[in-house]
Amino acid sequence: MVTAEIRIELKHGVADPEGENTKKALELLGFKGIRSVKTVKVFEMDLDIPASEAASVCEEMSRKLLANPVIQTFRVQLK
Amino acid sequence: MKLEEIKVCILRIEGTNCEQEAYDAFKALGADPEKVHLKQLIGRSPGELRRELDEYQVLMLPGGFSAGDYVRAGAIFAARMKSHLAADLENFIASGRPVLGICNGFQILVELGVLPSFDEIMSEAPQAALYTNVSGRFECRPSYLKHENHGKCVFTSLLPRGEIVAIPVAHAEGNLRFPSESEEEFLMRLEENDQVVFRYVDPNGDYAGYPWCPNGAIGNIAGICNPEGNVLGMMPHPERAMFRYQHPDWTRSGGKPDAPGDGHVIFRSVLDHVSKRF
Amino acid sequence: MGSKELTRKRAVPFPLFEVDLFSASPDELREMSKTMGLNLSLEELETVKAYFKARGRLPTDVELQSIAQAWSEHCCYKSSKCFLREHIFGIKHPDVLAKGDAGVMAFDDEHAYALRVESHNHPSAIEPYGGAATGIGGIVRDVLAMGAQPIALVDPLFFGPLDLMSVPQGVKLPKYLAQGVVAGIRDYGNRIGIPTVAGGMFFDPSYTGNCLVNVGCIGFLRKDKLLNNAVRGVGDVLILVGGRTGRDGIHGVTFASAELSSRSEDESRGAVQLGDPITKEPTIHACLEVNERGLVSGIKDLGGGGLSCVVGEIALAGGCGAVVQLDKVPLKEAGLAPWEIWVSESQERMMLASPKENVESILEVFDLWDVPATVIGEVVKEQKVSLIFQGEEVFDLDLDFLTKGPEYCRPTAASNVSTLLPVKEPQLPESWNSVILSTLADPNIACKDWAIMQYDHEVRASTVIKPLQGKPGLHGPADATVLKPRTDSFRGLAIAIGVNPWFTSQDPYNGGRSAVDEACRNIIAVGGRPHALTDCLNFGNPEKPERLFEFKEAVRGIGEMARDLDLAVPSGNVSFYNETAQGPALPTPTVLGVGIVEDIRKCVTTDFKVERNPVYVIGETREEMGASALYRRYGGSGGSVPAVDTSVLRSRMDLLLGAMSKGLIRSCHDCSDGGLAITLAEMCLGGDLGFEGDLGALGDLPTAVKLFSETNSRFVVEVELSRAGEFEALAKEHAFRIGSVGRSRMTIRDKGAAVDLKTQAMRRAWSEPLWRSLG
Repeated sequence: MVTAEIRIELKHGVADPEGENTKKALELLGFKGIRSVKTVKVFEMDLDIPASEAASVCEEMSRKLLANPVIQTFRVQLK
Repeated sequence: MKLEEIKVCILRIEGTNCEQEAYDAFKALGADPEKVHLKQLIGRSPGELRRELDEYQVLMLPGGFSAGDYVRAGAIFAARMKSHLAADLENFIASGRPVLGICNGFQILVELGVLPSFDEIMSEAPQAALYTNVSGRFECRPSYLKHENHGKCVFTSLLPRGEIVAIPVAHAEGNLRFPSESEEEFLMRLEENDQVVFRYVDPNGDYAGYPWCPNGAIGNIAGICNPEGNVLGMMPHPERAMFRYQHPDWTRSGGKPDAPGDGHVIFRSVLDHVSKRF
Repeated sequence: MGSKELTRKRAVPFPLFEVDLFSASPDELREMSKTMGLNLSLEELETVKAYFKARGRLPTDVELQSIAQAWSEHCCYKSSKCFLREHIFGIKHPDVLAKGDAGVMAFDDEHAYALRVESHNHPSAIEPYGGAATGIGGIVRDVLAMGAQPIALVDPLFFGPLDLMSVPQGVKLPKYLAQGVVAGIRDYGNRIGIPTVAGGMFFDPSYTGNCLVNVGCIGFLRKDKLLNNAVRGVGDVLILVGGRTGRDGIHGVTFASAELSSRSEDESRGAVQLGDPITKEPTIHACLEVNERGLVSGIKDLGGGGLSCVVGEIALAGGCGAVVQLDKVPLKEAGLAPWEIWVSESQERMMLASPKENVESILEVFDLWDVPATVIGEVVKEQKVSLIFQGEEVFDLDLDFLTKGPEYCRPTAASNVSTLLPVKEPQLPESWNSVILSTLADPNIACKDWAIMQYDHEVRASTVIKPLQGKPGLHGPADATVLKPRTDSFRGLAIAIGVNPWFTSQDPYNGGRSAVDEACRNIIAVGGRPHALTDCLNFGNPEKPERLFEFKEAVRGIGEMARDLDLAVPSGNVSFYNETAQGPALPTPTVLGVGIVEDIRKCVTTDFKVERNPVYVIGETREEMGASALYRRYGGSGGSVPAVDTSVLRSRMDLLLGAMSKGLIRSCHDCSDGGLAITLAEMCLGGDLGFEGDLGALGDLPTAVKLFSETNSRFVVEVELSRAGEFEALAKEHAFRIGSVGRSRMTIRDKGAAVDLKTQAMRRAWSEPLWRSLG
């Protein structure tokens, strides 16, 4: 079994309203010194496929569903 | 063909939730709508429930939160369609039959790659995104749309160009985006192909920022069609404005409350088109 | 599990214990009730002991847990029943079709609507997002169980002051709670596609440690599809549908039936349930479809107490009992003990009863929607429930014993009713202008569009009178929202909330009456005739006589109003123990009113329409300043809380509905929080117009009273100029002409005093506060 972590991040330059609003909410709650908040989505999956194939399968998953290339990048990490 | 013979497939999965009013809109105009679960089109239902996409003249993807909008709005529904229904859908679109995606339906069409559809009916990967609203919030509010299409879109053929319609929005992810490196080019191609259908405007008809453009979409774009004009995706909900009494200010605007509302023309146009063409 | 000396594991390959009640001392019994999380009193445990003594055997842990659920305040209303029986249960109304998980009322010849509101206070105080979301999930199931399509959600919310920046240990910041609760309602309600159309947000320091989250749902159905929450008889099987069962939500009801403490968070995390709207949404479709096709005998919601409550109740309601194969229940994780499966309150589950021969068709429908559905038991003639787990009987109880919980008529004692206290006048600033602007910005009065626009209030496309009214983008508030549930009829349902916790705190009886008056006013203001009420009664610890007195008096007030006005009360909910070490929440009887609109095309909204149209106050203004927004804001106290004269309310209702059907009235808004001044201001806001007038017509009262008294049963109406004579002839002594619609400022004269405010300034004051606090 392989554990894969697929990290979906916003492309550089794409605004992050969720991050900005979270920052604002945290500040309203009294937290100080927050320079920036960025949202990142992580899918962690346990795969019953040979480790040699896992990376390419995860990349295909990312292309087919998990990331929209217009706004997002993905990074696959096998553990 | 006759109006009452026009079969409309209102496609849904779990979390699709605007199918009833979409059904009612087509029904009110005399067509023959049917609510169909995706599993019925891909052979995953009991025999008597099996349907073929080819049996219908119009395909409609209603609003909602299909599959919870998990991953990204519309992405899961799109992936499920793409894996089992891609060929049927391409044939459907190629035959000139209309496809309408409203709100979540628009998100699905974009994720599927059938909008904006610059080079092929269905692109391999999405060419656009309906991204989180600039406000970061779900926005349920009135909006005004200016009709910008020069006549290609079969869903607005009865609506004069330049006309302003009041149609409400209700979404958290309606911010139309193109890849930043091709933004200019894509906008130009949309214009050249006559693919822009609606833009958000303020009550005076001027292009305006938030809140009149509720999501920050590029070029204030609320709805686009494919280059052939038979696939329309739009974030606002015309099925919620079929009659005046559904408008937010009908008690002030005078006129008969049960007269057609501003969304009516979209359904009327497409049915008019189908009855003439097929 | 319980203390070691008292429990004995049975020799089976799964956790099952017998509990030795017989040899336990009172102290040991108390200790056991605590360690097992039963929350049963010694007296109740003695009753249990006697039952098993008579049966000649020891109870299993499954049985004890089940009894604790069934006898909790939440499930059996043991402290409230005697008062409800006296004042509410006896109210008869010819249009009541059912009083089950939700009340059901006739709508027209062929259709009916369902209504219910309940609290989800304790879970929301611990985990606001999940607590509120699952509250919505639960109320939707109640309505669905009657065979009704849910068509609207309603959610009055009560929090501490939003600017509070420090709170006692174990309590969460009101701002955090408000954001979380609204997000929970939004994400659940929007996803299941049911519009959230009405509600409210109320703020008071007493809610800081006890936020109240009340959730209501309206459903719609054909009368011939009405289901009662009952099996039809022997031959029926029980089908569990929807989500899987897990350890989430264990002991929710016993938790809801105790005061919150600073340790509640750690101890109660398990009691907070998780919601899954994307299991719920298709479950709604599937349940409605099997009902439409006539395949089911009855449906019941799995709410508080989970299976342990639903199996007994659905069987007994059909005069039967049931045998359940507990190991058939689909689980989220392996290794749950039988008692955990039996009492888990995991979300998104419904119980269907159906004749055996329909099972296959039912499972097929659920399969199309990918919703799990499993036959877990069958109905038997004898009125008892037995549970089999891996072949072993782990539970066998008589339903008569299990479901007939204890009932207490606990003592009540009047607290010092402050109407008797001398009046302390508020300290008012010099100018009425600044009082009005400041009152408009009071969070209890300020615009709630921060929340309203996050809720999809239009999905299903039948919200014809919306929660924000007036010019798009420049809206004012609504009194009631109106739904048009049928595409082929103009008949509508008006939905409104009435509640005034400050009135109730000062004068519980008139507070209860005022809540009903307000709900009725709101319905009348849009053109509806009040038809049914349902209530969510949020009070403190009923074991304290002053708290219970407040409850008793409020219930008396509500009951009398309903009787006098011929309103049905087909459902209701009580939430006690809204109390922490810092004190109780204000007594909060929330009333959800539903009215019938004969023709939605005649509906009226609050926004002023046309400049120069005459404006009238309908109803006399009295010096009733007790607990008013003005007093609260400017340090006044004492004084009388507004009373209600139902015959007056009735005649004004007839007058207004008559005038509306003739098309005489262009806008109408009830006078409530903040009195006439705020009512007029809000009408200016929605219309983006103004007002110009003189309050001389209201007689010889102090200006503060004319502007800010919250006397009940009053309305402000704008009448079509050309038909003013017609209206005045109709209204006679009810109407006081005070001025006319102006252009862009509100100018009010009274004796020497004057108000002169730009509509734009009022809009700023009213629109911004919640956005500033909540982001």
